[in-house]
Amino acid sequence: MSPDAYDIKEKLGVVFQDVAVFEELTVYENIDYFCGLYIKDKNTRKQYIEEAIELVGLEEFKKFYPKQLSGGLLRRLNIACGIAHKPKLIFLDEPTVAVDPQSRNNILDGIQKLRNNGATIVYTTHYMEEVEIICDRVIILDKGKVLATGTTDELKELAKIEEKVTVEVNNLDEKYIEEIKKLENVDDVVYNGNILLVTYKKGKNNLVELIDYLKKESIRYNKIYSERPTLNDVFLELTGKELRD
Amino acid sequence: MFIHNFKYALKTLFRDKMLIFWTFAFPIILGTFFNMAFSNIENSEKLEIIDIAIVDNDEFQNNELFKEAFKTLSDEENEDRLFNTKYVTEEEAKQLLEKDEITGYLILEEDTPKVVVATSGINETILKYVVEEITTNGEIVENLMEKEIQQGIGSGVYNLYNLDYEKIYKNVLEKTQNQEAKIKNISNNNLSYTMIEFYTLIAMSCLYGGILGMVAINKNLPNMSNNGKRVSIAPTPKGKVISSSILAGYITQLVGLALLFIYTVFVLKVDYGTNLPLIILLGVVGSLAGLSMGLAIGTLFKTNENIKTGIVIAVTMFGCFLSGMMGITMKYIVDTNAPIINKINPASMITDGFYSLYYYDTLDRYYFNIASLLIFSFIMIVISYSSLRRQKYDSI
Repeated sequence: MSPDAYDIKEKLGVVFQDVAVFEELTVYENIDYFCGLYIKDKNTRKQYIEEAIELVGLEEFKKFYPKQLSGGLLRRLNIACGIAHKPKLIFLDEPTVAVDPQSRNNILDGIQKLRNNGATIVYTTHYMEEVEIICDRVIILDKGKVLATGTTDELKELAKIEEKVTVEVNNLDEKYIEEIKKLENVDDVVYNGNILLVTYKKGKNNLVELIDYLKKESIRYNKIYSERPTLNDVFLELTGKELRD
Repeated sequence: MFIHNFKYALKTLFRDKMLIFWTFAFPIILGTFFNMAFSNIENSEKLEIIDIAIVDNDEFQNNELFKEAFKTLSDEENEDRLFNTKYVTEEEAKQLLEKDEITGYLILEEDTPKVVVATSGINETILKYVVEEITTNGEIVENLMEKEIQQGIGSGVYNLYNLDYEKIYKNVLEKTQNQEAKIKNISNNNLSYTMIEFYTLIAMSCLYGGILGMVAINKNLPNMSNNGKRVSIAPTPKGKVISSSILAGYITQLVGLALLFIYTVFVLKVDYGTNLPLIILLGVVGSLAGLSMGLAIGTLFKTNENIKTGIVIAVTMFGCFLSGMMGITMKYIVDTNAPIINKINPASMITDGFYSLYYYDTLDRYYFNIASLLIFSFIMIVISYSSLRRQKYDSI
């Protein structure tokens, strides 16, 4: 895209990872300024600004300056500045970094509304639970390379595990851990603190079999529950578990 | 789009406390300190008479202008007496200077005055300044006499073969008193070297416009600020956004300069002379030079806004220092030893513009400074423009 491809640019909206607003302008003025770079008609712009403010829930903060806003509110303002002009294609780069749960919830709701209104959204994040909530299609990138693409269900199928069972148990002897590892379909067993995590490669009744084993060995436990693999597991499976810079 | 961006650029500039401090408040505070400090120095130094010597040779005896001027300035009955003058031979003058009994001595050789001093200081600078003024004023009177004679003969007032020099001199004197031609009185009262301080203060204020130019660039370029990234992806021509921001910066700068003028004229009672349009023109062109310098710094240095602000302030203060802000002696030293520095120093161009406007009858030197400032601005703008044109971004 060339710098003067204005017909394309006017359809784009970008929300950068770093907050990009003017400290000297109020919430309303910031949105008005950036929206004004796209929308010339004052009345239309006014309507769009009000809608953007409502979308991110900043109605009570219109006259506030950025330095008066919390981190979460600032992120919401950052989003409003990027989407007020109603772009067709929106890029959101980690918009929920370091925000409180309420703001995150508000932001994710807003993004879903934008999608429902017809915008295409490219959403970059490290939070896999957000991906599961809002994304239709997912691309997992690592060091600039595409590792996997598909819906969340399609990606979960890529994980080599079928089920995870978590057991809260005190003072489990090492010999039991070794025996559990030998049970059918078990892929891995990790005992950390008082949490026993058993992962299975495949199978449907793994939880029942584990409960039977614990009963047979008279091992007392507090809680036991089963989970399907998450996108987080898929991500770690595909990108590796070693720490990154 | 231009108006929209211009409106918000003005808002952001006027609400930026750091910018307002450097552009509006700092020059006014500094001016107040100058006034407090230097008015006391001037008052106390009014009593100080400078010991000098004049080589009493034939050339001096034949030069009525210098003879009369130094007679008046050394007259014990004159309240504004400036010098205690000894009329000696050249050898005696050298000895007096070696013994540190005089600040310096004047010798006329082939009608050219030469001032000999041992060191650099305020007294030495005053002596040199006075000699320079007498020479300039002499040339002005000479020119006026010539003009008066030519016009008088042309209109039939004077007879070519029977010139009435007394009448000519009287007419020229009347004209100078009627401000048709300005000749400043170089008495102790009027010899205010603190004027230079205020001229450099105005120069500093003009050049601080560089901060505004730099900010205009920084806020609109994607590799300089987060806001610049946002602006760069909008369907708005870069030139339009940047030019409207620069215009807003320029107007802010002129408002700051106007406030400084008003404050120094009406509160500190500084006299910049009577030619208001030319004073304003110098301020406007000086501010343009400052703004364009900021644009160049904004585009050339790839660093954050605070460091760039520091660079603009440092360049400005150094320029003002060389043009005499921290002591008029520095201006004299630079003018004498490395005149090229002050020829390319915008602070010096502005200072000298005011100086020439206030002290000289002709406007040649003033317009030379205006032209120099315009050339400086043009070069800075060309540098900024070519630097902006070269910038391409693979990734923001």
